[in-house]
Amino acid sequence: MNAPVDAVGRPWRPQPRLLAILRYTWRSCFPPKRWAAILLPCSGALLFGLLAHAIDQGADRAFANVAAEGIFSLVMPIAALVIGDSVLGAEIRNGSFHLTWLSPTPTWQIVLGRWVGGSVVALFTIVPAVGVAAVIAGSPSSVGPAMIAAAVGSVSYVAIFIAIGCMTRRTAVWSLAFVFLVERLLGGVLTGIAQLSPTWESRAIFVGLIDDAPRRLVRDGIPQGVDAIARLAIVTVVVLLLAEWRMRHIRLSGASD
Amino acid sequence: MAANPEFPPHDPALVANPTVEVDAASVWFGPKVALSELTCSFGPGVSGLLGPNGAGKTTLMRAITGLIDVNEGSVRVRGRDPRRDRAVHADMALVPEDEAVPAGLTARQLTHYLADLHRVTERDAPEQALRTVDLLDVADRRVDTFSKGMRQRAKIAAALVTDPNVLVLDEPLNGADPVQRAQLITLFKQLGAGGRTVIVSSHVLNEVERLADRVVVLVHGRLAAAGGHRAIRDAMDETPRHVLVRADDGRRLAAALVGLDSVTGVTFDPGRSELTVSTLQARELATALPRLAQTASVRLLEVRPLDDSLESLFRELVR
Repeated sequence: MNAPVDAVGRPWRPQPRLLAILRYTWRSCFPPKRWAAILLPCSGALLFGLLAHAIDQGADRAFANVAAEGIFSLVMPIAALVIGDSVLGAEIRNGSFHLTWLSPTPTWQIVLGRWVGGSVVALFTIVPAVGVAAVIAGSPSSVGPAMIAAAVGSVSYVAIFIAIGCMTRRTAVWSLAFVFLVERLLGGVLTGIAQLSPTWESRAIFVGLIDDAPRRLVRDGIPQGVDAIARLAIVTVVVLLLAEWRMRHIRLSGASD
Repeated sequence: MAANPEFPPHDPALVANPTVEVDAASVWFGPKVALSELTCSFGPGVSGLLGPNGAGKTTLMRAITGLIDVNEGSVRVRGRDPRRDRAVHADMALVPEDEAVPAGLTARQLTHYLADLHRVTERDAPEQALRTVDLLDVADRRVDTFSKGMRQRAKIAAALVTDPNVLVLDEPLNGADPVQRAQLITLFKQLGAGGRTVIVSSHVLNEVERLADRVVVLVHGRLAAAGGHRAIRDAMDETPRHVLVRADDGRRLAAALVGLDSVTGVTFDPGRSELTVSTLQARELATALPRLAQTASVRLLEVRPLDDSLESLFRELVR
């Protein structure tokens, strides 16, 4: 039997599953309200850029402070939380995720597709916002380090929030608990937790990459700069593997339950 | 497929050549038991899953498709565990009852997405599926802007595009108008006649009668009855019905009623002058009652069946 052909006579093949999931993620997981919820914290990053002018230090040091305390600790996790919830948790809650799950698609492709889809959105929203914030703060030399730290931190966060989406239906609540209780509270006192935290590690990436970082932002016991990038990359891979394992055992009980 | 002569199914809940086997399956959500030691099977053709709301139909369908795990017992689709063997999903599709559809996708994009995930090689399959459910004209409209009936048909198209051998449909006729209902019933029957295992749930007996050759009735997560719809009807006809009768002289009417063959019991509430009449032959009682009242010179004020709803009939079946 001849293979089906397209209009110009080329053999017709269905789209690769991973690509189909990616396109689906971008088309379906980000309705206008979700975009608003992502862009709102991103605009907060710009306000933090303005806030740097109110700090009576050099522009670079002032931005380093607001970036560490405001952007990497608040803006990035909140925006990434909305993205991470959009690409999986929200769909599981509204009951339409079964369309994807009830296919012979390997679960690793589902997880990877959703993560890449969410990460691309993060790279095109959070990361530019952080870069613009550095410019607004009058610290152009911080643009590169801040954008690298935001990029690595947000893709890591998206992976974590996808994993949380695979474990619980209350993704937003558990994700907030992770950010504020585990990372901020526990990570603030326990270096072991800070070493695995996107907030602390993205701060460490940023601090490690800028010149003349304020001493108080350098936290002993966790890797800085490029080492912190490697650490977050490992965290991301481990979390994605965990998400894939959970995805295989996920219980999809429907929107009404 | 020919019936296996070595295994004549004596239990009407089981079929000779099962595609889907449910063996002593129990599912609970916290303290709520959704399915309780349910054993049944489904084979090629259309099978109806009948039961009142909360009977466990949706839970059973989710267990069959692998969306949820059974806490005890097992579910097998073509001999494989749908929960652990993802290859099963290549051959199976679910149309869920809830109205959730992916936001922002057109009907065409939805069917193409499913075709891509299932590696459907027939180029025209998405268009064909949309044509089958009469949605081709609105294929470029977003499914989240569709009416309930259209959403249901879009989900049916998304299921059909994968050409599944096992099709599980949870209340698929909800929201459909009479013409669409007739078309969908014909479609499901054609799929069943073509050798596919089609499992359709409903809480409307007449609907299931039109659709299915075989009916499995669930009540409170347990198997209440199974077999042809005639057998289910007969089983329901054999269940006692209760009729409330209010008359100006209830005591005299009660005395007259106990002499009727169709009446199995009468309780009288003198305060309200109300009688609760139990009968196995509701039709005969309905004919005899006015005549009896006239003979006894009693004026009937109200006659009302107490358990005419399908739910109460289902409840009687599991007593």
